Amino acid sequence: MKQLAEIHTAFIERADDVSLLNTPAVNALRQKAKAQFERHGLPGKKQEDWKYTSLWQLGQEQFVYQAVETTLDAETIDRLALVTGSYRLVIVDGVFQPELSRLADLPQGVKLQAMSQLDADIADQLNQQIDLEKPGFNALNTMLFSEGLYLHIANDIQLSQTIELVVVNSGKTANLAVHLRHLVRLENGAKATLIEHYVAVDDAATGLNDIVTEVALAQDAQLEHYKLQQESVTSYHVATMAAHQAEGSHWHNANISLGGKLARNDVHSRLEGEAAHLTMSGLYLVAGDQHVDNHTRIDHSVANTSSDEVYKGVMDEKSHAVFNGKVFVHKDAQKTDANQSNHNLLLSRGCEIDTKPEMEIYADDVKCGHGSTVGQIDMDQLFFLRARGLDEVSARSLLTFAFAVDVLERLPSDEIKQALSTVIEQRLPRGAKV
Amino acid sequence: MKMLEIKNLHATIDGKEILKGIDLTVNAGEVHAIMGPNGAGKSTLSNVLAGRDGYEITQGEILYKGENLIDLEPEERAQRGVFLAFQYPVEIPGVSNIYLLKAALNAVRKYQGLDELDAIDFLTLVRSKMELVKMDEQFLHRSVNEGFSGGEKKRNEILQMALLEPALAILDETDSGLDIDALRIVSEGVNALRDTDRSMIMITHYQRLLDYIVPDYVHVLSNGRIVKSGDKDLAKELERSGYSWIHDAPEGVGA
Ligand SMILES: Nc1ncnc2c1ncn2[C@@H]1O[C@H](COP(=O)(O)OP(=O)(O)OP(=O)(O)O)[C@@H](O)[C@H]1O
Ligand SMILES: [Mg+2]
Repeated sequence: MKQLAEIHTAFIERADDVSLLNTPAVNALRQKAKAQFERHGLPGKKQEDWKYTSLWQLGQEQFVYQAVETTLDAETIDRLALVTGSYRLVIVDGVFQPELSRLADLPQGVKLQAMSQLDADIADQLNQQIDLEKPGFNALNTMLFSEGLYLHIANDIQLSQTIELVVVNSGKTANLAVHLRHLVRLENGAKATLIEHYVAVDDAATGLNDIVTEVALAQDAQLEHYKLQQESVTSYHVATMAAHQAEGSHWHNANISLGGKLARNDVHSRLEGEAAHLTMSGLYLVAGDQHVDNHTRIDHSVANTSSDEVYKGVMDEKSHAVFNGKVFVHKDAQKTDANQSNHNLLLSRGCEIDTKPEMEIYADDVKCGHGSTVGQIDMDQLFFLRARGLDEVSARSLLTFAFAVDVLERLPSDEIKQALSTVIEQRLPRGAKV
Repeated sequence: MKMLEIKNLHATIDGKEILKGIDLTVNAGEVHAIMGPNGAGKSTLSNVLAGRDGYEITQGEILYKGENLIDLEPEERAQRGVFLAFQYPVEIPGVSNIYLLKAALNAVRKYQGLDELDAIDFLTLVRSKMELVKMDEQFLHRSVNEGFSGGEKKRNEILQMALLEPALAILDETDSGLDIDALRIVSEGVNALRDTDRSMIMITHYQRLLDYIVPDYVHVLSNGRIVKSGDKDLAKELERSGYSWIHDAPEGVGA
């Protein structure tokens, strides 16, 4: 049995080998993060944010950093990708794959590159949306990130084609640790659709994905931002998506987790300009002994902003899910309109959900509501379907599917909605096809 | 041919006896009406016939086309042609009507050893059945019964019946909640399905329905037993005089 300290040491030793963005400014950030990580390390269960998610298991792992081989053929990528015909940035086992990516013919004003291909120093754009002081993965990621996506869209450019970031675990290197940092900046009136897609070639792939995505939306910018975590049931995934929203901007965030051994998402937005609007949609589907933890946080900092959050979860067998949603309405945020809900479906006795929607409201003229439910398959619905000839497994599966895809109705893109619905159908607990 | 034979059926729920010895034989092609006071056990009988969990059958037997029904799962009964139109049709958000109709039809066809219908044939068939119950096509793409009015839900049940063409249909108060026009439309739909190979059990509180769908037999179910049987005139008698005149009605029931 190992202590967390051992994995801390292993991570810290790795820090000197990272050479991405080797500029004095970036290196200074990394040094600061390293000092921070040496002080705090990974969060323990005593920390409120990690009360229901233990990193003990992760601490037992011996991660490796060098992939033995990172080649995959184009057909495999086509098979794994969520959508066709989009711009694509492909990272296999932590390494950017220019031949498998589709980054040509970008419109004027759109910069879409792998971090390793950047020519400019972007140090001043790093760590703008995340808090390094908090013990957790932010310091670890800052210290170790070695690749990522960089997207910048200039004023008033509206990119109509979707961008899919495909991050693949090929399974060729056991227990590979990958640390990625993505930066997304949309200037005034810019518009884009981005999918972050984490996927394993098969269920035998093992490893850790440690991800931080920083999003900055300027005035009236609109970002449809999807994330699909579709890794193997034996892997670890820890990710933060953090956004800053200026006046009139809209972040449409959808977060679909199909779980791993442990998957943790922190999604955070600060609405700091009037008429900024946030939509958060989430879905988690877990079975076996999987663990998934979603922490969301929304800060309404100024007047007249709105947010609408719905997370849904389906748990089966011995799986465990955590939902914690915090909405802060700050003192000057009058006329805030915030809605948050979390609905859960438990399919067996052995599974567990810890759900905690929270609102802290310091303004007096607001419209806010929140709630959570935990339920099971409805017996009247089940009997009805069986009385129409559907066998019990199909009927349960259909009801589960119906519960889950309801969240997808909120998504603006029909193509992505359809693709996600197919993925979910295949991952349904009990595997039965509807 | 005997479609359904119920012999001395006793059933309990949570230890409380609701059906207290039902005897009923329905031949192929016959329409039977079952009437009786609230709480008599009419829906319980329908649920037991359809195979709902939670009831314990303590005595008696149910034969459907000579086969013992009690040991079959609800879906096995449905696939063999037993259909229950629910008194309170359930809403299923997220499952479209057309999906349900297709899944249900395919389940029956699979049991019969038939291939699934292709999309075009299926749609043609569904459209012809919707015509029968005068339902607009928009209902196909809405979630099953979600936001349907009471009458629309009942029509939707009859649509499912028309599509599945069961051998034995049990209609539990399909007429309640229907307006006068809808009652006529639904009745015409049901009449169109009357056939020498098809039997129906209609549970109703109102003589009105039986003016449209004329039954071969009328039974009064009271306190878990069939206490009187007759022809369609019995329903008229009940309409006039209520249930209290039925001498062998056990104590505690009646108008
Ligand atoms: N779980 C239960 N526990 C105890 N009694 C029950 C239970 N479920 C049903 N009953 C009782 O069984 C009796 C028969 O109910 P049922 O629904 O079959 O009546 P019904 O004849 O269909 O009445 P209605 O005309 O009002 O539809 C009622 O008295 C009802 O309260
Ligand atoms: Mg009833």
